[in-house]
This record gives sequence, structure tokens and C-alpha cells, in this order.
Amino acid sequence: MTHLLAETHWDAIVIGTGIGGGTAGRALAEAGKKVLFLEKGPAGYRSERQGLDDGVFLPEARLTRGLWPEQVHLRLNGRDSAFFAPLGAGVGGSSVFYAGTLERPERHDLEHSADRPHPTGGWPIDYDTMRPWFDAATRSYDLCGTQDPLSDEAPVPLRDPLPESPGDAALMQAFRDKGLHPYHLHSAIRHVDGCLDCLGVKCPKPCKMDGRSAGVEPALATGNAALLDRAEVARFVGTGNRIDGVEVRHGGATHVLRADRYVLAGGALNSPRLLLASANDAWPDGCANSNGLVGRNLMFHLNEMVAIFPPKGTPASGPSKSVALRDLYYVDGQRMGTVQAMGIDVSYGEIVFYLNNMLERSALRRFGFLRQMTRIPAAIAVRLFGKAKIFVGLMEDLPYRENRVVLDPSHPTAIKLEYSFHPELLSRRKAFRRAMKRAFRGQRHAFLGMQPELNFGHPCGTLKFGSDPAKSVLNANCRAHDIVNLWVVDSSFMPTSMGVNPSLTIAANALRVADAMTREPAP
Amino acid sequence: MTTLTVSDGCVVLTGAGSGLGRAMAVALTARGFTVFGFGRTPGALRETHAQCHGGAFYPVAQDVADSVSVAEEIDRIEADHGPIALLINNAATYPKVDFLEASASDFMAVVNTNLGGMVNCSHAVLRHMAERGRGRVLNVATFADLNPLPTSSAYSVSKGAARILTRALVADLGDRFPDIVIGDWMPGMLKTRMGIPDGLPPEVSAEWGVALALWADPALNGTTFEQNTEVLPPIGLKGKIKALLTGKRRKPRVIG
Repeated sequence: MTHLLAETHWDAIVIGTGIGGGTAGRALAEAGKKVLFLEKGPAGYRSERQGLDDGVFLPEARLTRGLWPEQVHLRLNGRDSAFFAPLGAGVGGSSVFYAGTLERPERHDLEHSADRPHPTGGWPIDYDTMRPWFDAATRSYDLCGTQDPLSDEAPVPLRDPLPESPGDAALMQAFRDKGLHPYHLHSAIRHVDGCLDCLGVKCPKPCKMDGRSAGVEPALATGNAALLDRAEVARFVGTGNRIDGVEVRHGGATHVLRADRYVLAGGALNSPRLLLASANDAWPDGCANSNGLVGRNLMFHLNEMVAIFPPKGTPASGPSKSVALRDLYYVDGQRMGTVQAMGIDVSYGEIVFYLNNMLERSALRRFGFLRQMTRIPAAIAVRLFGKAKIFVGLMEDLPYRENRVVLDPSHPTAIKLEYSFHPELLSRRKAFRRAMKRAFRGQRHAFLGMQPELNFGHPCGTLKFGSDPAKSVLNANCRAHDIVNLWVVDSSFMPTSMGVNPSLTIAANALRVADAMTREPAP
Repeated sequence: MTTLTVSDGCVVLTGAGSGLGRAMAVALTARGFTVFGFGRTPGALRETHAQCHGGAFYPVAQDVADSVSVAEEIDRIEADHGPIALLINNAATYPKVDFLEASASDFMAVVNTNLGGMVNCSHAVLRHMAERGRGRVLNVATFADLNPLPTSSAYSVSKGAARILTRALVADLGDRFPDIVIGDWMPGMLKTRMGIPDGLPPEVSAEWGVALALWADPALNGTTFEQNTEVLPPIGLKGKIKALLTGKRRKPRVIG
């Protein structure tokens, strides 16, 4: 079956329109390449404002809202559960729902050194090679914020932020009084007229910069790009070291679309799934998977949520959105991570949701009536936490082979994961919590969880890049070792999860990879 | 900015040729609004026109049961006159006839006007409102579905379904477009052709209806008002627990 878009000769087909696909597609279109974006979800209305609502469970209703339609199936420490992960499926991907926090990693996140050894020996590119791309992404996403006072690196090219709210200012001063080093976190909210502060929800204005507003929309404005939404990519077709086309289901029919270059950006859960689902006679274990590493080394961050109460007498001023600190980024020779404001208030609904999710993963989950009982502690918590600001410590996860994305051959569109908490991770988590307690000593605070909480919004590592084709899926330019015309620009490429939110690094790497692609002749 | 003003756009009002519809057209034009009044009878719309002063009243001879021509008309208004800020779904018929005495197709003709008209107009207008992310839809509703009177089967069924449509529209649009505010309004028993002889004068009720229609607070999404007072939805066990534990009691809102 032919499709109108199958008649065009595309320089590149970009699969997925989140931070990675949007940013790379824009760079390619601005370099004069003909780019086709394929997006599983809908473009939707630009005026939409919904968030990642767990209450919407019908797959069709989720897809209409730009939410990943199906539950994620997770085998955690050998126990199965299914839940809706914070994943988008629409133009802009998950990023249209993010809080727009684009934090720069530290040198030791990428590089090995004697005093800060890297768990993989280091990324195949060093920090100084990445720096111009971090700067370019910082400008492209129009980031505002202040410099991290603990950083020895060259200053980040940031716009000045809005002044902090009285609550945040008081909290920052309280942190400083304790010897901590808070700064205004790096935010992709532009605060245009009538800004609605769309943390966690779709932004209806040209204000929050995400895969849509900083990627797909400017790409389409060049006239060099086209978008096919509600297009489900089923698999790559090809033989040997080359992809010949991508099989797409759209409007009830199946089409094969072709391009010189294929740029995969379905996210760290879906990109490996698509490669595994592309197994054929030539690629018995899946596309680009001759060494069996596709889908392996899955990492998340661990979230440590803590409620911190501002000093007495601080006026009520809504949730804290702007404060970050890196005093606990690297503690006693251990990789920890950044601590930052969540940007949400604790409300009754959030606590019920949070407690029910904890319940869902506990041994008590078979007692359905308990879901109602969580309302009582939730209501008590609302009163207790009324004025508290919620912070999250993002702790780095490390790559383990057995943590992975797997393919369910009977249901190839389903996201299926296997993950176990490594003892190393759990003991580092204990140290991280101790360090947080120490740092916030003297300020009223309370941890919001007992069990380790994976941040399912930050998956990465499942198609890691590296110099050795035996030990990695992608080369240093994020082209597949096995396939000459396949590149990956989402968070799959990361060999380690770093101590910061992944978005800036995804965007910077997408710009770097797009640049390398335009410098080489079509393979 | 929770009250619609003339600068937000024009109004589409169905059933503008009689009773409550005419009184609302008069009240809206008196506030300076441009009103497109849909109705089946040109003569009745002309009479409404004659009573309107202030803003413009455009009579539109339009059967709301005709989905194709409704969509064309709405698109034409949007193209020629700019955004429709407010839709009042008021058109309804109430033929009083025993279920066995009417034909099945008579029954469905009532459904097509009372429910179909609301579907057709809402669908056509909401596509434009969704582009802008803002707008107001007020559905004139009744309690007729709760205890259907004899000879009122088609009316009760269609108006009951119309109330479900309001809730269904909020379920589909409420989270995505919080500034598109959709709700029900029960005008009460009126002294109109469809109402009762000793009912409320429609001019009195129309003032409440218009004030509610122009009240575009997102918090009104999915609410029902009866005359000038909010009808609070029944509260479930979860809600009771929450109200008890958080100490928050509900209070009905009042128009004006």
C-alpha cells in the first residue's frame, strides 16, 4: 500500500517527537534536510492543558490526551505489576508533561578520573566535547536560572530568572544559613504574558520549551519537515547492515516509509522494544542487536521525596518551583545526585495517588478495599504538610545487564520491563537518605516514602553508546554499530544515568548527533 | 476575567423564537451582545428581533436536528463574525402524547431535536472553542427524566439524555480545556407555551440564565443550577470521608 508520504524522498525519518526526536529533527530541518516525523500519538489541540492523569485508563482516552495508552508491565524483584507510567504519546512525547527542569550534568557524570572513578570507565566523549552542545541546547530551550555556586566549570549561558517567590527566597536563605548552596534551577519556562506555569501539564502558549515547542514546531516552520501523527511504527525492515524502510500503521493501513537515514527517538523503553520487534531472518535477535545488548542496562533515578517546611513566619506562596542544590551530588566517594523543588504542592489527591501506588507495589495490594483506607492517612497528611515544600532527591542508578526492556512476542506493542534493586543501589540509597537528613537537620522535614521509588519518567541506558562494538549498541556518534543508516537520539544512549534530570543531556546529544549526520554523506 | 464580555465574541442561542429563548435574546442584546438566534419559524424569530435592542440580533432559520446545516451555519458565523464565545442550547419541543398513540418515528423526531440539536450545535461550536481553548456552553435542562410524567416519554428521555451529554462532554473536554466551561441550567417552571400558566415570567428567569451563561469561571465546569442556585451533586462515601477529615463543607453557589 502506498502512502502520500511514501512518495517523498526523505533525508531522514525521525521516530518519536520528544526531546530527542524533536531537537534532532529540528536541527536536521534547519540544515536543509527533508525530515519526516512519525509520532504514535496525536498532534492534539495546541490549547490543551491536561496533565499525566492516572484517573484516565481507557487506552483511547489516554491516546487522545497524548498519554501512553497502555500500562507498563514491570517485573520488579521477580514480582509482576502493571501501571501507567508517566509517558507521553503525542507530539512532544513525554516532554509536554514535564516540569521543564533542564539541569547540566557534572564532569564526573561523563568522565573517569582517579578521585572520581566512573562505573563504566567513562562515556566515549568527554565533558569538554559536550560543553558546546550543552550551551547550544541551553540557548535553544531558552533556559533561565542561576549558576550552581559549587561548580568549577565555565558559566552556563542562562537568562535571568524571575525573582523567587517569598517562600522560595526564605527557603533559600534557610539553606544558606545551614551552609548549603542553593541556586535557581535551570528552567525551560519562558514566562510569556499570561504564563500558566505549566509544570507537569501541557502548555497552551509558546512558553514552556519542550520537544514540541522547541523541536517539532520550529522544524515544521522551516518548510523542510512534515509530521505524521497517530502513526504507530511496527518495525524496521532491512537486511545486513542497512534498514530499507520502516513499517507504519496509520489510518487502519500498513505502509512502508523510506529515507536515507533513520533516527530513532521513541524513548529508552520503546526504542529498544522497536529494535527487538524488528527481528527477521537477517536479524534473528532484532535490529542492531548482534551482541544482545539491546534493551539491557535499563536505569531509572531513585526518587527521595522530602517535605521541607519553610521557616516560621514565611508567607504562603504556593509550591516551590525554583530551588535546586548540589551539595549532595557526590558524597563520601559515592554518586548521589541533585536535590530540587518538585514544583507541586502536596494536595489530598497527590497523597492518595502516591499512597495507592505504594500499596499497589506492596504485599497488601490484593486487598482492594485498602485503596479507600489510604484516604485517611492522606487527609491527615494534607493537614500536616499544608505549607511544606516538596523536594526530590534524584539519585543516580547504575547500569546492570539484567535490568532490561524485554519484548512480549504475543503483544509486541506492550512495554515490558525487568528490574531488580541491586544491593549496591540500596546501600547507596541509605547513604543518600542519611546525607539528606544531615543536610536538612534543623529544618522541619519529613520523608514521603519508605520503599525505594523508581522514577519511571527518567528511563535511560537501554542502547548505550561506546567505542567497543562488543560492549555497546551505538558508536560515539550514536549510530548503531551494526546498522549504517540508524541513529538513536533519546536517553537510550546514556551509559550511566547521571545525577540530574536527563532532558538537557538528551537535547544536547541530539544536536551533536544531528550535526555529525549532516557532516557525513548519506550512507 | 471569568465573566464573558462583548469583546470575547458572539452568542449562538437556539430556540430563540419563543418563550425563554426570546427573553434570553432580549437580555443578551440589552447587554450589547451580538446574538445568532436559531429557530424553525421565521415569523417567531422576526418577533424576537423586534424586541431586541442594544446589540445585534440575527435571526437564523435553522432546524437544530439537521447536523449538516448546523455545522455549515456555525462555520459561517465563525468565518464572518469571529469567535462564538457562548452557546446556549435552549431549543426543545415537548409534544404531550401517550407512548402508544405516537409513532416510533414521532418519538425519535423529538429525540433528534432535544438531544440531537444539542449534539449538533455543541459539536460544531466546540471544535472552534477547542482551537481557542476557551468558551462557554450552557444547556437548558429539566428534571423531567427523574419521574417522567404520563404523555412525556420522548421529552423525558431526550432531556435526560441531554443531561448525560453535559457530563460526557465534561469527561471528554474538562481536563484538556479547563477554560471551556460547560454546564446545565434548570430555569424552573415558567409561564411559557411549554410551561405552566402560573409559572415564573420568562423575563425573570432569563436574567438568571444569561447571568449564568456569561459567568465563565472554570470552577463551574460540570455544574447544574436550578433557577439562581447551584444544585450540589450527590456525595459518595469517599466524598463524605474527605469532607469529614478535611473539614471542608460544600456550599451551593448563587447567581448574581
